[in-house]
Amino acid sequence: MKFLVNWLREFVDLPRTPEEIADLLTRAGVETKNIETCRAKIEKVLVSQITASSRHPNADRLTVCEVDDGSGTKRQIVCGATNYKVGDKVPLALSGAKLPNGTEIRKSKLRGVDSEGMLCSPIELGLGEDASGLLILSPEAKVGAPITDLFPSDTILDVEITPNRGDLLSHFGLAREIAALTGKKLKSTPREAKIPVKKTGVTITATPECPFFSARRIDKVKVGPSPQWLRAEIESVGIRSINNIVDISNFVMLELGQPTHAFDADKLRGDINVRLARDGEKFLALDGKTYSLKPDNCVVADQERAVGIGGVMGGEETGVTESTRNVLLEAAYFLPASVRRTARELDLPSDASYRFERGVDPEMVLRASARATELIQEITGGTVAREIHVAGELPSNPSDVSLIYEKCDRVVGIAIKPKTIDEILTHFGLKKISAAKITKWKIPSYRRDLQRDVDLIEEVVRAYGANKIPGRDRSRFTPSTAADREYDLETHMRERLVARGLFEARTSKLISRNASAFSKGAVELRNPLSEDHVALRPSLIAGLLGVLEGNIRAGAESVSIFEIGRAFIPPSGKEERHLALLLWGNVAGAPNWRSQAKRSLDLFDLKGALECVVPNLSFRRGKFPGLALAVEVCSGDQLVGFGGQLLADKSSAPGSVLVAELHADLLLATGESAKKFRELDRYPAIRRDIAMLVPDEISQEKILRTIGEPREPLLESIELFDLFSGGEIGTGRKSLAYRLTYRDRSRTLTSEEVNAAHAKIRERLRRDLGAELRE
Amino acid sequence: MTHPLEQLRDEALREIGSAPDEQALESVRVKYLGKSGSVSAWGEQMKTLAKEEKPVIGKLLNDVRNAVTAAIEARAQQFRSQKESGALAKIDISLPGTPRDIGALHPLTQMWERSIEIFRRMGFALADGPDVEDEWHCFDALNTPPEHPARNEQDTFYLPDGRLLRTHTSTVQIRTMRGAPPPIRVIAPGAAYRRDELDATHSPQFHQIEGLYVDENVSVADLKGTLEFFMRELFGADTGVEFRPHFFPFTEPSLEVYVKSKALKGGERWIEVAGSGVVHPAVFEQVNKARGDKAYDPEKWSGFAFGLGMDRLAMILFDIPDIRLFAQNDLRFLRQFA
Repeated sequence: MKFLVNWLREFVDLPRTPEEIADLLTRAGVETKNIETCRAKIEKVLVSQITASSRHPNADRLTVCEVDDGSGTKRQIVCGATNYKVGDKVPLALSGAKLPNGTEIRKSKLRGVDSEGMLCSPIELGLGEDASGLLILSPEAKVGAPITDLFPSDTILDVEITPNRGDLLSHFGLAREIAALTGKKLKSTPREAKIPVKKTGVTITATPECPFFSARRIDKVKVGPSPQWLRAEIESVGIRSINNIVDISNFVMLELGQPTHAFDADKLRGDINVRLARDGEKFLALDGKTYSLKPDNCVVADQERAVGIGGVMGGEETGVTESTRNVLLEAAYFLPASVRRTARELDLPSDASYRFERGVDPEMVLRASARATELIQEITGGTVAREIHVAGELPSNPSDVSLIYEKCDRVVGIAIKPKTIDEILTHFGLKKISAAKITKWKIPSYRRDLQRDVDLIEEVVRAYGANKIPGRDRSRFTPSTAADREYDLETHMRERLVARGLFEARTSKLISRNASAFSKGAVELRNPLSEDHVALRPSLIAGLLGVLEGNIRAGAESVSIFEIGRAFIPPSGKEERHLALLLWGNVAGAPNWRSQAKRSLDLFDLKGALECVVPNLSFRRGKFPGLALAVEVCSGDQLVGFGGQLLADKSSAPGSVLVAELHADLLLATGESAKKFRELDRYPAIRRDIAMLVPDEISQEKILRTIGEPREPLLESIELFDLFSGGEIGTGRKSLAYRLTYRDRSRTLTSEEVNAAHAKIRERLRRDLGAELRE
Repeated sequence: MTHPLEQLRDEALREIGSAPDEQALESVRVKYLGKSGSVSAWGEQMKTLAKEEKPVIGKLLNDVRNAVTAAIEARAQQFRSQKESGALAKIDISLPGTPRDIGALHPLTQMWERSIEIFRRMGFALADGPDVEDEWHCFDALNTPPEHPARNEQDTFYLPDGRLLRTHTSTVQIRTMRGAPPPIRVIAPGAAYRRDELDATHSPQFHQIEGLYVDENVSVADLKGTLEFFMRELFGADTGVEFRPHFFPFTEPSLEVYVKSKALKGGERWIEVAGSGVVHPAVFEQVNKARGDKAYDPEKWSGFAFGLGMDRLAMILFDIPDIRLFAQNDLRFLRQFA
């Protein structure tokens, strides 16, 4: 909410500068977001009086005015406005004046007629938003006086009021807070209204939603534009000026925090009844829109129809207009929860509902009514009814709260003197009503947020100063949790992939509808905000594909990325931790000055990356939507994910795109415990190579099985070190070369026994696979 | 008088010393040690020597042969190292190193790792909870009943079945306390969601570290000490840390945390980095109700909680101007944090 410093000053002596006020409030938890100057000091703008006016000889829309600027000589000014009459007092900007919008005024000729300055509208002087005509000043204004005498410059504080502090949503309320924090006395408080009460004319049937309602009649009002001071005051804090009655109502709300509403009394049909709406009841609100009401919406009604949504907005049909003669002024207390529900259901937040939702001060209801009535009488000249019609009861005072001083020390962490605590709470308007070991405090009517001892302790911290409490070391030993172990394993996975040259991506868990073949059936949000964030990702691949495309657009030649994060599995949205990889383009770093080899990333790079994260994975051909070449990835007997090469039409990337996605929780569950040492080999190994030609359809797996079964006890390991096809070999065949390592862990092998073992293997390859062995 | 063998040795050593290159050295070797070389010839002569002369001359011959062999080897080594250092001198050491494939962790992950490491050193363990939550865990249990002005359903994403995406990681406070009695010392890294339009400083998905510490006699002073230590470890020892009262429904008192450091861009002003506070007794009461016991008796136990905005902290620490960069994953961006 925006506050005018001079308005606050009417209630309390303020710190010297706006910055000091802002600092005081911010440190007490009332954050001041911004300080802006309003109505900067304007020089050479004076109060002048129009003494004559005539048509401009050369322009239909202009007039030539003769004005008195108080100096004795009359000045001639060309003017485009039409809202004045001779004798009006208006602001005159003389040559040399600089207006807040930057305009500099000079003597000039307008369509051939000399003009010695400019007559100003409110917006030109930074006094609100009105640009429709000249600012007509009060007849009492002194001709020749600087305009800043009438409209002194002011400062606006933009303050963020937290939802628990409805009592600060008014100038009086914030001034009261400043008084409490500085220990100053309030200069004035709204007088208690002593108005004779009449329990007729108003009934309440929706008592829980509206515990108290009052209405006061003011007859023979003269509705019109507000005086400039009123208009400037409300417009500078962002409220549009409507007419004097409505503006007064808003002014009182800004001043005291209690919303009021004025009805055109002649348009009301019979007594007021505050009731619940009928299901589907139609209501045309002041914003010009028709709302369909529900039975839990509280309405202010006459004997025929709803004339206001309680605490939210008045009705268009009974609003105050220029033709209104008599008004009925409402001031009521609405239940915060009810107002909030209604404003939310109708999507109709208003300045009034904002305050009722946060709870207004019951003791302010009738005072605000009296203040508004007084202003209406003063400004519009109406006749105020002697009595006020009321129904219901104002909510009782908040309950007393107990506090033990030691508890305060315990929560704060340092000892604060009871005297200091008492002083702070007293300044905030609390009254100590029992001084026993457990002190008891009476809570002021406007502080319903103070409900238990910790609330009082917070007040102590706010006023005492959080920065005066020294920090303390509270470290302790803590055993690790399952989440710790999972985090560590996940970190380990990330590090392995990074060390292998992959970049970690973190993509949005909210994806667009039908982001890709990998997001079928994604759980959608009921209330998405934008098309890009509609559903919860069931797979990480859609996100990685987006990253790929973005990087290709940015000129990348190679993309190797991974992500570890949550996926939401349809239909329930069950959360799983997934690991996904995407590889595209050339092997990173190649070609370079050390190596001219240029090779596209392929399925085996994908396998290699997966194998470096999880040992002992196995792969088998599978089918998967969106993939041209699909493999199932297994760890032991368990299927843990899939991978493969994307169908060409699933991405705009040229060349093959490799993707894989694993259910990482399964991998973490089998995650490694501490590795165990194995005795280092003491006896040398003997290596023998086998080069062979086999038909294309013989797989690596089959060759390994043929070599490995039956198990040759001396054979330690097998490694494929060369593979090629085509060329001199011809079609239908491929050449493979393996290195076999033989070792016995207890002795040195002889060449003969290795030769014998090796020959058996060679023979099996020849016999079982028809391999042509090369020497 | 010197023995002719000694003369032969001195002559050989002289020639070895003056051999200009490997080739010349080789002819010297052949001349003295070759099959018909002059030193080898003495070996033949040994047979003709008198019996008493044999051991003396034999030893002398051996010494001479060893000396000449060693001198040739030393000279050859000299030639080899000359040649090698000549070649090495020609290497352009300013050529780039052989390219290596090194990836990088996402800056948000790095931010998380840094933060988690600091908290673990202080004795916090990790905790976890789901992104998809129910209203009870997200609001009611956190002292934000329906119709509470702080319960901002407008800003909350809902699933068709009424569940929601958690609007803060504070839900993990509740899950942790439901699962275990006090004392509690956990941090919970995770994502949270708000219905915010994506712009330079807002994202519908953002990231937090939640912290919860419940023990006997936990106070504002303990909360301050913990977060002051964290901020100074993260941003440097001379970082200013300030706590300002605020309002959160689930803590009382509530404090916002600000940091200030000349080392940070824009850090000459106070920057808001976290929300925190003393756990509201009403939260303990809700937890007790759900647990069906009195494990979290507000008169015996107290605690503090905090939520750190990871995106915000990473933007400050790494000087990143736009939150959208995190989700774009441009490799040029990621490579900067390798």
